[in-house]
Amino acid sequence: MEQFIWLIPALPLLGFLINGIGNKSVPRGMSGLVASITVLGGFILSVVLFLQLLSDPNLVIQQKLFTWMATSTMEVDFGFMVDRLSVIMLLVITGVGFLIHVYSMGYMHEEPDYARYFAYLNLFVFFMLILVLGSGYLMMFVGWEGVGLCSYLLIGFWFKNNDYNAAASKAFIMNRIGDLGFLLGMFLMLQTFGSLSYDKVISGASTMSVGTPVLTAIALLLFVGAMGKSAQLPLYTWLPDAMAGPTPVSALIHAATMVTAGIYMVVRSNVIYVLAPFASEIVLIVGILTALLAAFVGLKQTDIKKVLAYSTVSQLGLMFVALGLGAYKTALFHVVTHAFFKALLFLCSGSVIHAMGGEQDMRKMGGLKKALPITHLTFLIGTLAITGIPPFAGFFSKDEIMASAFATNGWIFALVCFCALLTAIYMFRLYFLTFHGEFRGSQHQQEHLHESPASMTTPLIVLAILSTIGGFIGMPEIMHAPHLLSRFLKPVTAMAESYTSLHVTHTFEYILLVSSVSILAIVIWFSHRKYAVQKHVPAAPQELSGFQWVLHNKFFVDEFYDAIIVRPLRMVSSLGYRWIEQGFIDGIVNGFGTVATSLSAALRYLQSGAIGFYMIAMVISFIVVFFIQMFL
Amino acid sequence: MNILIAITAVGVLAMLSEILNFRRFLYPISLFVMLVALALTGMEWSHGVRYFNDMLYMDNYAVVFTGIMVVTTLLWFMMNENFLNGNPRQADFTAIISFALGGAMVMAGFSDLIMLFLGVEILSISMYVLAASNKSEPRSNEAGFKYFLMGAFASGFLLFGIALVYGATGSFNLREISEFVSENNTDMSAIFYGGVLMIAAGLAFKVAAAPFHFWAPDVYEGSPTPFTAFMSTVVKTAAFAAFLRLFSTCFSEVSTWWSPVLAIMSALSMLVGSIMALRQTSLKRLLAWSGVANAGYMLMAVVSLNEYSDTALVLYAAAYSIASIGIFTLVSNMTNAGNEEISSLHGFSKVNRFPALVITVLMFSIAGIPPLAGFFGKYAIFAGALKDGFVWLAVVAVLSSAISVFYYLKVVVAMFQPAGREAVQLEFNPGQSLVLGLVLVLVVVLGLVPALITTLI
Repeated sequence: MEQFIWLIPALPLLGFLINGIGNKSVPRGMSGLVASITVLGGFILSVVLFLQLLSDPNLVIQQKLFTWMATSTMEVDFGFMVDRLSVIMLLVITGVGFLIHVYSMGYMHEEPDYARYFAYLNLFVFFMLILVLGSGYLMMFVGWEGVGLCSYLLIGFWFKNNDYNAAASKAFIMNRIGDLGFLLGMFLMLQTFGSLSYDKVISGASTMSVGTPVLTAIALLLFVGAMGKSAQLPLYTWLPDAMAGPTPVSALIHAATMVTAGIYMVVRSNVIYVLAPFASEIVLIVGILTALLAAFVGLKQTDIKKVLAYSTVSQLGLMFVALGLGAYKTALFHVVTHAFFKALLFLCSGSVIHAMGGEQDMRKMGGLKKALPITHLTFLIGTLAITGIPPFAGFFSKDEIMASAFATNGWIFALVCFCALLTAIYMFRLYFLTFHGEFRGSQHQQEHLHESPASMTTPLIVLAILSTIGGFIGMPEIMHAPHLLSRFLKPVTAMAESYTSLHVTHTFEYILLVSSVSILAIVIWFSHRKYAVQKHVPAAPQELSGFQWVLHNKFFVDEFYDAIIVRPLRMVSSLGYRWIEQGFIDGIVNGFGTVATSLSAALRYLQSGAIGFYMIAMVISFIVVFFIQMFL
Repeated sequence: MNILIAITAVGVLAMLSEILNFRRFLYPISLFVMLVALALTGMEWSHGVRYFNDMLYMDNYAVVFTGIMVVTTLLWFMMNENFLNGNPRQADFTAIISFALGGAMVMAGFSDLIMLFLGVEILSISMYVLAASNKSEPRSNEAGFKYFLMGAFASGFLLFGIALVYGATGSFNLREISEFVSENNTDMSAIFYGGVLMIAAGLAFKVAAAPFHFWAPDVYEGSPTPFTAFMSTVVKTAAFAAFLRLFSTCFSEVSTWWSPVLAIMSALSMLVGSIMALRQTSLKRLLAWSGVANAGYMLMAVVSLNEYSDTALVLYAAAYSIASIGIFTLVSNMTNAGNEEISSLHGFSKVNRFPALVITVLMFSIAGIPPLAGFFGKYAIFAGALKDGFVWLAVVAVLSSAISVFYYLKVVVAMFQPAGREAVQLEFNPGQSLVLGLVLVLVVVLGLVPALITTLI
């Protein structure tokens, strides 16, 4: 198997080439099929790899492709590395990716630019696989930039709409800020460890003592990169805007895979973070603030995809909380379960939007339960999973985050619990507003309500099953079942575990289980009464006041950034253009050019074409050189 | 050794082809033998065999340079399919080019000063003939005559220098000279230093470094374009391979003595070449001046002699040869259309999209824009100069590079401008398109992974 690792990313790349070069000459049926099959091939290979790693606990597959550059002080290679962490990411990317490709065949069937869409989607999968398969930070960076590019291309997929283009540019620029941090972190690593490969960096870092300043600096810089990619404060505002892209793209890129790259990076560098407690604290604080802020904003949104987008930001925040607490396996656990249920929720919302003829406002929906039975049921499962009701997947991972928080700090625990409560409130509001009550859309929409085709509902069912049973890979201790994921990841996080002990008593776990379930039950009952029985509909934005108004406008963060960054920047740039660019630099450049051309005019007389002169010139030159050398 | 036999065999076959009347097979034969020669070159790698009583030493340095020159000649044959096939003097041209390549190979692999001189002469005499080969064109006659007279003059310098070095050290053999120099490096006689200087002047003429560059623009412009292409690639590479080989093996112990004067020559070449290229309106003449400037960059590798000089020069020479062959594909088509002016390229990109793209990439590479091969060549050479303490030289090099961007991009801009009245239709035959495709791949791949070639030495 080892010699076939390159096939995993090569297959989607092949799909990209077929769809990208063939573009409109590829038959419509073919392009979707090619795209899906290449990803399925990657999934099958990943399963084989997974089984191989499962049988041998110490197996880490390293493959050097080529040396990019080597000097006496540093060496930078390109290569693949597959260990237990990357294989889990591989399974999620190719598995969920495949389902979303299948779903896209149905969802995009009316799209004229079908092949271009699948070409981008395949390219994204390729870069995402490069990101997790790389044997060093450089390869990760290549993938990191690549997925950023694909995200940009797909957000702006409908490039004729200028708002969508603006959203795409916003995502790109925000990510660029983060990437600068990542890049600086890489330079610092290169200077400190002389290499960017994981094993050399990790072994170099593990010999340092706790709190070494350079490690803290590296950890913080890498985290800036993660802030951009994983949409954390203050760089999160691009993610809600990114919902301009097609819904399957939101599911794949902006929920299940790309945005978790930051978490993958921190887990990959866990040794550095363990040795940099200050950086870990920053991660924790940023994570919890993001989780709360996004959850608050999610309460008052009326666009179905925006709610899910803020929910994603909030869940990513929770993952960073786990990372900040040193519970790396828990964070990865939540990445996996989140990939299942958030992809499911997005795809369901896509199905709803599809049925409603492109309508995304929840105030115009309601009572869709009857018309869309499969979508309704799978969405309900997704909602139960995200809110953390046992035995659905989200319960186990969220419970683990809460337990880790309780073992470390009571305040963090309280805030995480509060965040979980908010999650339940906005998710059930979304669920009841969409599927219960009376239909509030137009007559025309009502007549056209229909369940989606099988190519769309099948992925929904598969993801719903995964969201139901996915949590069983990580059972808490009180269930007396083995924590499979934790056992599997032991070699990756062994060092981190020797530093942090996150253990809670059985009594606490029982209390947590019972109290969370009962609080959630109350939330469900309230939401049901408010939105399903009393048929309450959220007010129009102009009728809102006070805190609700602030929430609906997302705390005015976008306006704030515009005022303190965008506008001053525009001003400085226009000043710079007028004075520095046109006046100063152009003057120097033109002056340089004038001098050079006039010199050239003067020198031309030397090139007379007369051979006698040339020979004399040579002799004189030699004599001059000779005298300078021999006698001076 | 086998490479030399294979290469000269093409020459002999070419001459026989006239007598035995198989000229129509000559073109495929020459392509095939070039491929064989490339394979043979590969087989010599890392064996380090010494031939002819240590007259020729095929170390990795020689093998890599030979490889570059054989590949360039192969590309040269491919781009000149129309020029050679059906030409009544096809056999002569093929034979002389093969002999010239043989001479170039000797210049890359010599380990004896006699061999150096033989290589230089075989190469030069071939080129004198080729420069004058368009007998009906006065400019070609003039070019050949100029090249021959001045080249003979420079050979005189070289030979006299070799004689002086022999007189001072008592040997022609590079190893013995270098041993002698390292044993007596404090009290070498003035004869020796004079010899070194004269050899430097002779070789500076061959690489067209200022102030021994006067012949270059006139000869480049006057010669038939296919041979100009050969001069600015294989001949230049061979001359630099010889230059660095001689100075790094024999004279490195006394480098503090000769490096300042070579540094001045290098700086002068860069400045004169770049500044003169600015005003040129003919693409062929522009490339001639850019060749002078590039000689200056490559000379920096000799000036800043250190353990990376070899790799830096190899990378630069490879990048330069590849890019030049691609650009000369365009120039030879322009010559055929009867107009070598840059302004005649207006509207070129509309008709010939792929060639326009390739030429643009090549111009970017030769101007030193990352991540193409030319950038890493320049980077390696500039870094070497900085490492050796020639900061001022590196500054001059960067300035000259900045100027060069202007005239390289002038060509690119012209290609993408709307067609004017002067526009000419250019057609690329399949062989030339293939050459363009190959050089595009090479320039990009060598830029992404320069280690492919630098690790060979």
